[in-house]
Amino acid sequence: MTAVLYRIVKPVASLRLTVVLLAITAAVALAGETAGVAVGPVIAMPLGGMVLNLLAAIATNGKLRRQAGLLGFHLCLAALALLAALDRLTALEGHVEVSEGAAFDPALAQVQAGPWHWGRLADVRFVQGPFEISYAPGVKRRETFSTIRVPDADGQWHRVVVGDDKPLVAGSYRLYTSFNKGFAPILSFVDHSGRSHRGAVHLPSYPLNDFRQGNDWVLPGTDRTVKLWLSIGEPIVMPDASWRFHKPKGAVLVLIEGDKRRELAPGDSVTLGDGVLRYEELGSWMGYTISYNPFGPWMLAACLAGILFFAWHVFGKLWRRPVSAAASMGMQSHAV
Amino acid sequence: MLSDGLWLPVSMALYFGAAVAAVVCIVRGNATMRPALWLLGLALVVHTIAIAERWIRVGHGPYVDLFEILSSNIWSLHLAALIGVILVPSVRQSLATALPVLQVLVWWIVVVPLSGAPAPVTYATVWLPVHAVLGKIFLGCMVLAVGVAVAVLLRRAGIARFAAMPADSGLGEIIYRLVLVAVIFESLMLVVGALWARDAWGRFWAWDPLETWAFATWLAAVGYLHLRALRPPPPTLDAVLVLAVFVIAFATFFGVPFISTAPHKGAV
Repeated sequence: MTAVLYRIVKPVASLRLTVVLLAITAAVALAGETAGVAVGPVIAMPLGGMVLNLLAAIATNGKLRRQAGLLGFHLCLAALALLAALDRLTALEGHVEVSEGAAFDPALAQVQAGPWHWGRLADVRFVQGPFEISYAPGVKRRETFSTIRVPDADGQWHRVVVGDDKPLVAGSYRLYTSFNKGFAPILSFVDHSGRSHRGAVHLPSYPLNDFRQGNDWVLPGTDRTVKLWLSIGEPIVMPDASWRFHKPKGAVLVLIEGDKRRELAPGDSVTLGDGVLRYEELGSWMGYTISYNPFGPWMLAACLAGILFFAWHVFGKLWRRPVSAAASMGMQSHAV
Repeated sequence: MLSDGLWLPVSMALYFGAAVAAVVCIVRGNATMRPALWLLGLALVVHTIAIAERWIRVGHGPYVDLFEILSSNIWSLHLAALIGVILVPSVRQSLATALPVLQVLVWWIVVVPLSGAPAPVTYATVWLPVHAVLGKIFLGCMVLAVGVAVAVLLRRAGIARFAAMPADSGLGEIIYRLVLVAVIFESLMLVVGALWARDAWGRFWAWDPLETWAFATWLAAVGYLHLRALRPPPPTLDAVLVLAVFVIAFATFFGVPFISTAPHKGAV
């Protein structure tokens, strides 16, 4: 390093600056958390400052470079910062609802992806099957067993059960079941030209929205909107007992258009303008979270390597000078 | 707490007795601290039985609700204090400061109701016990450091009851070493927690309240180490800084998980 460059970099490597930046980072993180602001973005700047300080220290601090364990630890921290930045640029997070009996449609997923995200969510394929969810007393959600069908490389479909802690891993994407799930009336609509449309209307998450099981639906090929409301009838949620999520047997679909109100049982049809709407059956939908962190394992590896280097440094230090020697740096002479 | 069998209340009474005995030993100039050590050992044996009996009865370890987490931490932190003063006999008198500090948890558990909540599904992982044990070792090291730091502060305040302990410079070195080891275990705890989070929620890190506070705790401990590397602070300031790190760690372990509704709490 040239003398000029050294003079420029050296102040950035200040240990005093390290202490200040550590304090600022902690304060910003806690202030952001307390204020309910997303901590990740607000902490980026002080963390960036710490990385510059760290790199400058590695480049100019001879004492740091002479201690292999400490140097390894700090290099791993620098690597971790680089990997974390790459992770944020390439990660994807999102969620999606999939109707029972339907294929996962990436176009319906609500995702946030980094600008360099290179994965292909469109390549993820599965078909949603039935699912089981049990609840403990107090409406505490327990295990979710969501059965899906997944194709292999040869195009053969296999049955797989996923859950909250057992994801579908496809092309580095991980899809976990979430608390989100609910009922979905399956409707078919034959429009004025005789064309048939079939679809599922997802009602709000259940039992989170136990008393708000309604949704609007625009009739396919028209601009007419009808209101749908599911009258569940039988009690499903048992607050003080164990129970299972299930479709209510006697549920009635209430259809409201303007001031007209009709109650439909599965199989019932109703004429709406020039078309005919038929309530086929009551289905369900399952919610999934989607995540993609290609640099996650590398970040973990950097963390573990860094901790090992630090432990090597610390225990080497302790071994060279046992605690008894440290304690005898002066026996008590402070009697007042 | 009193409705959860006999063993637990007895163990809490013994912890209280050990704390009182430690203070009495200091007041009477008994540097061996033997009565406190024996009571502490007995309390740990009884408490171990209480935890094992409850574990068998409810079918999961002491890590689901506030009552169980307090119970397991009271056990592990007292065990850390005992092991610490056995390994480093010269700081044995710090039991008179460490055990009263831990009485905060002992009295807290007395008023905490039993919830009987089942363990969340995401707790069925090998990472949970590893994460919990690493966290307890971290906090155990910090409790030992705080015990020594409070002894330094009392001595500096003119209380000549810790005459058998090393000089402040020696105690400062012991505090520094304890924080060094604590940082190793807190770092490991964070990494294992990230592995668990990936299994449980599909992400390694999401800045949820507990993660943010745990990160701030790590920064505080690392900041203390850097400050010492910069220039070892005077004993009083050194002790106050360690207390500050401990306060943040204490809030992380015993405050945030119980006031936040984040997924980290295990909320379903």
